Amino acid sequence: MPRPIPIPDDLSRPFWDGCNERRLLVQYCTYCDRKQFPPEPDCRECGWHFHLTWIQTTGRGVIIGSSVTYDSRIVAWHDQQPYLNAVISLEEDPVIHFHSNLPGVPVHDVPVGAAVIVDFIEVTPGQLIPEWKLA
Amino acid sequence: MKILLSFDIDGTLELGDPPGGVTVEMVRRAHEQGFIIGSCSDRPLSSQRAMWERIDMVPAFVASKHQLGDVKMKVSADAYYHMGDRDTDFQAAEENDFGFWWAHEAVAEPWLALQEDE
Amino acid sequence: MAREIGWERNVDPVGIWEHRGKVALVGRGHSTTDRRWDGVSMDKTLGAYAMVAAQAAMEDAGISPDEVDGVITSAGGQPGHRSFGEQWAPRPYFDPPYDTEDGLTFVTAEWLSRQLGLRNVKYLNSHGETFWNLMGLAFQAVGDGRCEVCLVPYPNGNLEGRYHQAEGLSAPGAAQWSSPWGWGLSGQGFVFDQYCRKYGSNHDRMAPFVVQERKNGLLWPHSYYALHEPEPFTEEDYVNGRWIAKGLSIFDCDRPVQAAACYVVTTAERARDMRQKPVYVLDHTEGMFQPRSLVQTLEESEEWSDILAKRAYAGSGLRPGDIDLFSPYDGFAINAQYFLEAFGWRGVKRGEAHDFYAGDISLHGPNPLNSGGGNMGTGRMRTAFVTDPMEQLQGRAGDRQVKVDANVAVTIGVLPGNACTLVFSTSPD
Repeated sequence: MPRPIPIPDDLSRPFWDGCNERRLLVQYCTYCDRKQFPPEPDCRECGWHFHLTWIQTTGRGVIIGSSVTYDSRIVAWHDQQPYLNAVISLEEDPVIHFHSNLPGVPVHDVPVGAAVIVDFIEVTPGQLIPEWKLA
Repeated sequence: MKILLSFDIDGTLELGDPPGGVTVEMVRRAHEQGFIIGSCSDRPLSSQRAMWERIDMVPAFVASKHQLGDVKMKVSADAYYHMGDRDTDFQAAEENDFGFWWAHEAVAEPWLALQEDE
Repeated sequence: MAREIGWERNVDPVGIWEHRGKVALVGRGHSTTDRRWDGVSMDKTLGAYAMVAAQAAMEDAGISPDEVDGVITSAGGQPGHRSFGEQWAPRPYFDPPYDTEDGLTFVTAEWLSRQLGLRNVKYLNSHGETFWNLMGLAFQAVGDGRCEVCLVPYPNGNLEGRYHQAEGLSAPGAAQWSSPWGWGLSGQGFVFDQYCRKYGSNHDRMAPFVVQERKNGLLWPHSYYALHEPEPFTEEDYVNGRWIAKGLSIFDCDRPVQAAACYVVTTAERARDMRQKPVYVLDHTEGMFQPRSLVQTLEESEEWSDILAKRAYAGSGLRPGDIDLFSPYDGFAINAQYFLEAFGWRGVKRGEAHDFYAGDISLHGPNPLNSGGGNMGTGRMRTAFVTDPMEQLQGRAGDRQVKVDANVAVTIGVLPGNACTLVFSTSPD
């Protein structure tokens, strides 16, 4: 199904390029030893951009909760309603979150607390986005 | 043949907010000609019932928009139609195998032709 | 006139407000409330309604336009100082001879001041944001002596059609992180789901709160529902509402309306000579927060609302037991619980809001929560959150008058991530 396609910008391009290599990257401040996602111009802790880089995550996470969308504001999604919206917490740093539609999981039977691993799906030729599946 | 007509209210009926083009007279005519009528809208059920009371009609059902499928289970008919002005109306109709008219199509009372077809 | 910045009381420890009890609310006025503006009726624009409200507020306070020396407004009623036409529903630019939206979907202090023929205005500010912050800004400005008799209009409007609809397949900017997965109001449902899992509750248990709010709102003559949908709203209605996103039903969402209110804010000293019993402002405090990552979680909603509550108690010098009336913002309805639990009003602790809703929260009982009806009872006017506490403290709330002694009222809005708390009292001390 056609879904909205992320448009990379200067700040986000490394993340989306990483996805295209099937690597899940997040911003990392080497000074604060702190991960940050989504990316920001500066580290929110120290306020500097000098120490910001990108690191690869394990790609392992946990489902921390969900909702089911019945009446989306995003018109492209209307055909898929009702659809599942889960939130994934990164295993090595649970304050880092990702979205997932958990393909294949029944919308009303989401195993909250279950382990998931990242996968990548193509939204348009040349652009992969992270998706998650039960581990 | 028993035909059920489910009316959305806001944007569809003249009593809606915003008002639609389907008049109370059209609804009444459908009722008199033997169609099973009721409303399926985003309005609270109380508010839907109050609307029917105001025009002195007794609907066969009132339902929230996501309950169109329940209408089919509770009210027996040979054919089911819903009409409304929003994507959510169209989707509810499609999911539950109701025929569907957009509000602007409904003003032509397309249901009358269904009876003539018999 | 230039935008005021740095007026907010948002850095801990805030300390007792320097103008505690020295600023007062003395008048309120309302326009009628419509579902939307048709885009053509010039007597129903936000500007026209702001004028009606301002004139009613001045009359209520017993002052003449010549006494007004300040006007502070939230021109578009929304954050970001834009008109709702620009921010919500796309609105084609108005045809000549109108060369501006000012007075149509947008009401600046300059426009209103000109229309009302205010001759002695020395302070104009159109940069108030959402309602509570606007009031906080006005209280601070009067306390600081920028003006002494200030009109504070809050216009909030609605146009034809659905708003916030994102078309197309392109997801630039912030949307790149959410739209590919169809994330939107699911954020509200997600946090509510986390709450219910953590504390063992469910959505149906919201029903008594929303039903009570509608009852209260139906007793307020300016309420959208009192004017246009006067039939009672029942628990059956609530639990039959369709999901927007699971955890957030259509009856948790406030209905956008077209209305304006206006308040007269002045110094405690000037208030003594005016027509109404003054309602003293004890404090205003603000706070803005950002999620650590992609989504706002229950943990953050609780953490932020805790910070806001502590700040409000520190700023006003009050304790939970001192608050007679508590009015947490309810658009969306499922957010009110975070504020209620954070403030610990009537001893409600984390996870207990739904039990509290199941008890007596009626106007005539001991715990009149949102006695003005909130947005669920009045529509997205937001102004019930100040008009009601004001009228309750003045003893002129009519059929809504609570039975408890109403001396101190607290209201907070909008959302846990961006809120302002206002504290009112019958006494300046």
